[in-house]
Amino acid sequence: MADLKENLHTDHMVLNMGPSHPATHGTVKFLLTLDGETVVNLETEIGYLHRGFEKMCESVTYSNVFPYTDRLNYCSAIMNNIGFALAVEKLCDIEITERCKYIRVVTNELARISDHYTNIAAAALELGALTAFIYFVEAREIVWDLLEKVCGARLTSNYIRIGGLMCDLPPGFDEDLKASYPKLDSLFEDVDNLLTKNRIFIDRMADTGAIPVESAISWGFTGPCLRASGVDYDVRKNHPYLCYDKIDFDIPLGKTGDNFDRYLVRMEEIKQSFRIIKQAMADMPDGPINVANPYLRNPAKPDVYARMEEMIAHFKMVIDGLKPPVGEVYFPTEAANGELGFYLVSDGSGKPYKCRVRPPSFTLTAAMGEMCQGGMLADIIPTFDMINMIGGECDR
Amino acid sequence: MTSEEIVEKVKASLADAIQDTALPQGDAVIFVAPDCLQKVAAFLKDDPSLKFDYLSDVSGVDYLNEEREPRFEAVYLLYSIDHQHSIRVRVGIEEDNPSVPTVSELWKGALYPEQELFDMFGIFIEGHPKNERLIMPKEWSGNPLRKDYPLTTETVTFSHNRDFKSDLVKSKPPTR
Repeated sequence: MADLKENLHTDHMVLNMGPSHPATHGTVKFLLTLDGETVVNLETEIGYLHRGFEKMCESVTYSNVFPYTDRLNYCSAIMNNIGFALAVEKLCDIEITERCKYIRVVTNELARISDHYTNIAAAALELGALTAFIYFVEAREIVWDLLEKVCGARLTSNYIRIGGLMCDLPPGFDEDLKASYPKLDSLFEDVDNLLTKNRIFIDRMADTGAIPVESAISWGFTGPCLRASGVDYDVRKNHPYLCYDKIDFDIPLGKTGDNFDRYLVRMEEIKQSFRIIKQAMADMPDGPINVANPYLRNPAKPDVYARMEEMIAHFKMVIDGLKPPVGEVYFPTEAANGELGFYLVSDGSGKPYKCRVRPPSFTLTAAMGEMCQGGMLADIIPTFDMINMIGGECDR
Repeated sequence: MTSEEIVEKVKASLADAIQDTALPQGDAVIFVAPDCLQKVAAFLKDDPSLKFDYLSDVSGVDYLNEEREPRFEAVYLLYSIDHQHSIRVRVGIEEDNPSVPTVSELWKGALYPEQELFDMFGIFIEGHPKNERLIMPKEWSGNPLRKDYPLTTETVTFSHNRDFKSDLVKSKPPTR
């Protein structure tokens, strides 16, 4: 018997997984050390989608940063817009109008829903559940149609402006929204029935990728992944921004912090987001969407052509850009995957001196090694799906 | 605790380690020298009334164009999940051989952002397990987020402007 073992190859095997692997989305590489099928060590290599976001932002005016923020997390572009706008507004001390806050909340939650749809659909697909993928992609298409009605674009919305919005909600938007609920609910129901009690799905998801609470906090987990571990931290509740303090919604919490809890938290968050949208649409006040000061928000086109002051302001805003006071600011918001914050440094000119984004999936990706160690090779797939690493946001 | 109370408490407990404090837009900000960073960070994490258990981000700033010393700055954003308050720690770093001690022993979440700080600003992280590039390719030279690193544009090969001829087009061998 001893002789037999001597002749067997029992050393660890080193395996490259990605970047050209369907489950790594072409944006990340894992260097695996395997003992049979057990993961001994996992090293993550990121940077394949780096486009120099910060360097580009330093060369354009504050309002020109918005198209770049769209391309951070392209599944929920409006959330990135809102995060950046709120940071600049805090820096300049701009108080936005009440209607603008409500519209931002509605679009923010629509973006959150589409992000969770994408995440769960992709996770189901990579575990072999093609039907659930098709259902949620259909639902996501309905949400994107709604967003297209609002801002004219499906993915890269570029809808939010400093001190306001690009435009008001289109006429009849409330009816369109109400008309889409039955279809979205039935699709949600279908996916829920297909996945939540599915034996195969539970076997792949439950007890995989779990991480203790202390570790999760130490790694800087936020969003659904942290709440799946049972930590009640949501920026919308703890430090309400926009009008989240006036809206009644619940924060779902998990218990074990494994992949199945992360999935359940996301499913519940979709429901809660619809609850928020319904309340916000019902409570939405009338009034202006932009701040009145033309030197803070580009004035409306009819005013630019008819009035002197607005014309001067328009020229100044386009050529020089908005000039915040000298200083620095950090503003965290709750994006679909966790805390999305912008750290800005202003030197008093029209261009940001420094524009750092704190992406949620960056810190989650860093913890991949710890989450996968000791597990099976196949467990990497659901774990990586549930942290929802978006290349554009992680690598910037 | 409110930002004022946090700043007062930190100042009272670690008077010799804190260079300065500020309250921009109501946020608590403290200025620390690199050699005191680990001491201050450990205090911020372990003190029961502060308990900053969650490091949300580490980023760097290059103040080359500004009239100020020192040139670099590392910014640590801390938050306490139990007490729901936050603080910003700003660490000024000299231009020659810039280096700052790691805080990744206290918060594992610092590992990646600190590595990025090394990659993007060339600031050496003392005690970090991996002082190597994270986002840029391993063979890259220069530190892209330094202010003296030029922002270049890619030359285009083709244009709808008929008179435009790029170098590639000009150097193209003649076809038959």
